[in-house]
Amino acid sequence: MSDLAVTDGRVAWRGRLGTEVVPAAQPPDARRALQLGLAGVWLLDALLQYQPVMFSRAFGRMLAATAAGNPVVIGRPIAWDATLVEHHAVALNALFATIQLLLGLGIALRPLTRFALAASVAWSLGVWWLGEGLGGMLNGTANPVTGAPGAVLLYALLAVLLWPADRTDSAYDAGPPPFTAARAVGARAARGLWLVLWLGLAWFAVQPANKAPLALHNQLAGQADGEPHWLAGIENSAAAVVGSHGLPVSIVLAAACVIVAAGVWLPRPAARATLVLALAVAAVIWVVGEAFGMILAGGATDPNSGPLLALLALAYWPAKPGQAREERVPSC
Amino acid sequence: MLVGVMLAVAGVSAVRLAGARPWRRGTVIADTDIGHLLMAIAMAGMLAAGLRTLPGAAWVIVFGVLTCWFGYRVALDARAGGVRALAGRHCMPHLVHSGAMIYMFLALPPLAAASAGMAGMGSAGQSLRYPSLAFVFALVLAASSVWDLDQLSGRRYRQESAAVTVGCRTAMSVTMAFMLLIMI
Repeated sequence: MSDLAVTDGRVAWRGRLGTEVVPAAQPPDARRALQLGLAGVWLLDALLQYQPVMFSRAFGRMLAATAAGNPVVIGRPIAWDATLVEHHAVALNALFATIQLLLGLGIALRPLTRFALAASVAWSLGVWWLGEGLGGMLNGTANPVTGAPGAVLLYALLAVLLWPADRTDSAYDAGPPPFTAARAVGARAARGLWLVLWLGLAWFAVQPANKAPLALHNQLAGQADGEPHWLAGIENSAAAVVGSHGLPVSIVLAAACVIVAAGVWLPRPAARATLVLALAVAAVIWVVGEAFGMILAGGATDPNSGPLLALLALAYWPAKPGQAREERVPSC
Repeated sequence: MLVGVMLAVAGVSAVRLAGARPWRRGTVIADTDIGHLLMAIAMAGMLAAGLRTLPGAAWVIVFGVLTCWFGYRVALDARAGGVRALAGRHCMPHLVHSGAMIYMFLALPPLAAASAGMAGMGSAGQSLRYPSLAFVFALVLAASSVWDLDQLSGRRYRQESAAVTVGCRTAMSVTMAFMLLIMI
């Protein structure tokens, strides 16, 4: 603490420089912490959507590219939407970015959390179709390494699993929820969703377009363009390691996904081990496969699926005995 | 719009500083208000060339001093309450803000820094120094924003002045994160 300044005859700064006193922080429970993680990703997504390049016709062309190879019933609305965006790029992108900003801020503000989570499910499903072409699931381009089944679908899944309510049916009341994701939808449904997600990732990993000998190598080498030196080095090194062994690498990735999928049915120590594996897979996908959503190369629209897969894995982390029951009271 | 937000933050901070009556002996001037005022003026100048007040080098010195001050405060807080206590205090986010401000003024090549506002940022041919650091700062600021909003909307900030501080800080964090991302 110090006096700022003292002068004679003029305005004298006699006050002391200090720090405002604040009350102690309220640590959030596990579900609230994950909701805040989701809010943070939405916020990042919105800020990326506000980039100048998104206000150009390039954004519309980016959307149009996702229609290719999709069935007509899926592709035609995408093409219509892309044309609309191309013709009204500034107004529509400002609208999209603002909606995403409000979703992020809304989830973070406690009184608005429910509304924002519900709205985020509807928005995510719309973007998954019209903005991501269903993540390439129907045109054979879905690849877990590059973001399948579509990052925005994972936003919706997280919003459902982190819904701020606790199931009160008799089966649920028989015991405390085994993990955070089970609180809103019940353990059986949460495990089912996890199984479908990770078996889906395993399935996509061994699709013809992804298991071709050079497919993964080319994918990784292509990510290096425009990245900082150190990240380009990681991408090129990973591409060199994979080389022409795309098939065995895809099989190893698929096997890891299957193990992760089964993990939530295993006893607590084994479940934790598989969730650590899920976190490791998410980290490798985000850093090596997605190059941090290519944000560092400029022009990225979102951080991609890596952080969302990690948030999902944390939502399935086994609760300590008694912890889940305690957390049911101060719900947000 | 962001220029308006920054000017609003600067105005609120100036009013709060004046309201604290710093010419009276014994009053406490909140360092956070000084930080907000300086950062808001600097960022408004970065966003709109017409609002530029000081050259970049001068701002680097200003924020260097602020970084040292908040670093000192963080060290005191950590010694008093442990590292965990830092999450709930004002000084840690302001230390990050001050560091991010220094980064923003130093990372842009001189040509881009001297050009008109944000139009000079992220344009072709003007490569940003250490873009990874911009990304890290943006991630930390996004996380800080949602944490602050959560605490602001909870029961923690019943005191109006603290709520205003956190509100201003959230606006600064979001704006700063955006500026860092478009600099990449």
